[in-house]
Amino acid sequence: MKIEMKNIYKSFGATEAVKDVSFSVAGGEVCALIGENGAGKSTLMNILGGVLPADKGKILVDGQQVDFNRPADSLSAGIAFIHQELNLINDLPIYENMFLGRELKKKGGILDLEKMVEKTQNVFDAMEIKLDPKTMVRDLDTSYKQIVEISRAIMMDASIIIMDEPTSSLTDQEIERVFEMMGTLKRQNVGIVFISHKLNEVIEFCDRYSVLRNGELVAEGLVKDVDVDQLAKSMVGHELRTISLQIKKEKGAEVLRVEDLSYNNDFKNISFSVHKGEILGVTGLLGDGRRELFQAIFGSGQIESGSLYLNNQKVQIKNTADALQRGIGYLPRNRKENGIIKDLNVFENASIVTWPLFDHLGVIDQEKQERKFEEQVKKLRIKMRKRSDPINSLSGGNQQKIVLAKWLSANPEIFILDNPTQGVDVGAKEDIYDIILELAEEDIAVVILSSEAKEIVRICDRALVMYHGVIQGEVKDKTMNEHEIMRLATGAGMNSVQEGA
Amino acid sequence: MQKDKSQNTEQGFLQWFLKKWSTEPIFSTGIALIVMIVLQTWSLGFDYDSFGSWFFTWTNNWVNILRNNAGVGLIALGMSFVIMSAGIDLSVGSTMVAVGAALMMLIDRGPNGILINLGIEGIPAILIAILLSLVFGYFLGNLNGILITRGGIPPFVVTLATMKLYRSVTQHFMQGYNPRVPLEFLPISNFQIGSYRVMPIIYWLLIAAGLYFISKRTTFGRQIIAVGSNERSANLSGVNVKKVKRRVYAITGLLVSFAAIIQVSRIGSMDYANAGSGYEMEAIAAAVVGGTSMSGGRGTVLGTILGVLIIAVMNNLLNLLGVPPFLREAFKGLILIGAVLMQKKQKTV
Repeated sequence: MKIEMKNIYKSFGATEAVKDVSFSVAGGEVCALIGENGAGKSTLMNILGGVLPADKGKILVDGQQVDFNRPADSLSAGIAFIHQELNLINDLPIYENMFLGRELKKKGGILDLEKMVEKTQNVFDAMEIKLDPKTMVRDLDTSYKQIVEISRAIMMDASIIIMDEPTSSLTDQEIERVFEMMGTLKRQNVGIVFISHKLNEVIEFCDRYSVLRNGELVAEGLVKDVDVDQLAKSMVGHELRTISLQIKKEKGAEVLRVEDLSYNNDFKNISFSVHKGEILGVTGLLGDGRRELFQAIFGSGQIESGSLYLNNQKVQIKNTADALQRGIGYLPRNRKENGIIKDLNVFENASIVTWPLFDHLGVIDQEKQERKFEEQVKKLRIKMRKRSDPINSLSGGNQQKIVLAKWLSANPEIFILDNPTQGVDVGAKEDIYDIILELAEEDIAVVILSSEAKEIVRICDRALVMYHGVIQGEVKDKTMNEHEIMRLATGAGMNSVQEGA
Repeated sequence: MQKDKSQNTEQGFLQWFLKKWSTEPIFSTGIALIVMIVLQTWSLGFDYDSFGSWFFTWTNNWVNILRNNAGVGLIALGMSFVIMSAGIDLSVGSTMVAVGAALMMLIDRGPNGILINLGIEGIPAILIAILLSLVFGYFLGNLNGILITRGGIPPFVVTLATMKLYRSVTQHFMQGYNPRVPLEFLPISNFQIGSYRVMPIIYWLLIAAGLYFISKRTTFGRQIIAVGSNERSANLSGVNVKKVKRRVYAITGLLVSFAAIIQVSRIGSMDYANAGSGYEMEAIAAAVVGGTSMSGGRGTVLGTILGVLIIAVMNNLLNLLGVPPFLREAFKGLILIGAVLMQKKQKTV
């Protein structure tokens, strides 16, 4: 099967989201669709998926012109759209999710559970997936959830699958698993549209590429003819830095020290310290416990034993408000669930953290908030129209900058950033790196939690690698490379460190 | 496309109106209220010849509506804060009875009156009684809040339980005990300005103005929205979620005690079995009609006042039109559904 989109136009009000873009994908090939946030990738794919109508242009399926007015139309033409936010019900087992809305029934309307399990198993067998159809979706990690969604599409005879940033919330290990699955699909002559920011994945895995910038098609061709730098360049329209950004400088005074911190099985006997002006990376694979550890430091209350010292004073942090008052900032991962508040506008989202810091007898200091906000908008180069606009009207990268802005206004002494560049395009990513480096220069102790070893190597002074709740080792200077990080993250010991797990 | 300018501006107005109507809950609720008031004015028999007597009837009618709804109005304001924080408080009616009973025991001028037995009488007694009632209401609300935040029990369950608890304990203790409210207490609600008894209305509007300020300009007020909209984000932004939630229930308790004071001073007694029963639903209905989202994060003080007024004016209108009493609740139900459908449409715009 071959899908062609020809000369597609789409505008929202005055903004032209897609201008004269043509795109095609055929069975058995993986075609990458890349571009910065707001470049028009999602709009284009929503048109193909029947979610949005095009203003102009046509769609051909095997040379026949078609009209997709709703998602069901494109689905019945064999096109499945796997959205970034997965569409599964956690409280049902896999097989029921596979047949959601199209349940198999026996006579009299009783669900035919056995048959649903069997059919699911057949699909899994054909796809070479080792999963028990009776597993609850809740118990699957994100990569397996994605695999279930893909299998569902396959079961519905999809021959083209659109995947919107399938790897953005996955760890390196999980990414491998999804790629394996995609390889199987390719061999079975399914066509894949791969929307991604991660250019190395595109190079490694895709056959063809199309680059969108500001709604226009700026480059396309065969992946084997290009490299990451060339792709990045056409995405952002100018050269990108790839050199390491670390600055060598003297360590400042110790700000945070953790001694023997433990909680359940999440993390065990954790000891480390962070200094002023230092950028400390913390990395590991899924289940390493780094997020639980740092949320505990930020006042989640989940600490069983061990002690925390801020500026050499022993402290107990009761809750997040307490952590904030003590000068700890925390930028959480998954912006949508943990970072933004959709019922507050852009300005309020950017000032929520500082309300209690600057208020007078509980009354918000509007003027000071506005001043801080304008400062941050300028400093972070946030693109927005009115500050009273809803937060959702901003692009992903700008939303992330707003979340960053609210913490920067609070002037934290220690700033913990969990996956700060998740779901952010290349340009905004560089902006965020710049900001992090500036923070360190202003003598703030920065902690970066990331599952991307490359990111850690690029901006951190040193990094702790965690494995199943223990610090497996520390890398810096010569040992600070992706290979060493991966070795430690997968449980290999360091010569000087006793293995704890 | 437009040929002349007048058509253009006319279209401009229509577009402006439709845009406002379809995006702003306050606007559409306000328009609905105005339509009802026009209908009400018309059904009061407006005509030019007897303008004076019509105006007198009209004003009197309005003072009555507002005064009768000041109590529920206060409770609805608290309720809208609770709902904005993604909670619910079913115990408001029972809290009102409990606070009312406590208030009457304090100021009772019979042999069992608490303050009189302590030798406190007159104005000091009234002030102390009011103060203690407010503290008591705050305490009962706070108890709800503590059970919800520390106990981790859903608000619906906690307040369903305290709804039973507060009323039943009150009824038990007040069996065969009829406190006599001193006459000096009654002017609190019945003091006349001109020939109108407007005090409850004044209390309601003053408190509403205070709450408006709190909701728009204070850390606590904005944090309520944040907590109701996305508790996790709020927590990770350094908001003390538990404290915000607890205070929301405590403030509702406080507002309920104001309602209890108004109630007791208006009629000088309280029916422990029935007073305030159904107030929780009235308050929820008013909050929802006024644009408060049941899932939290959305709602305004102004909207809730409009919600209270819409329901009140509609009651009045149905009365004036002679709609059979048993059918009136049906209209309330319809208006509730209509309002939510409207808001749903607005959200998707």
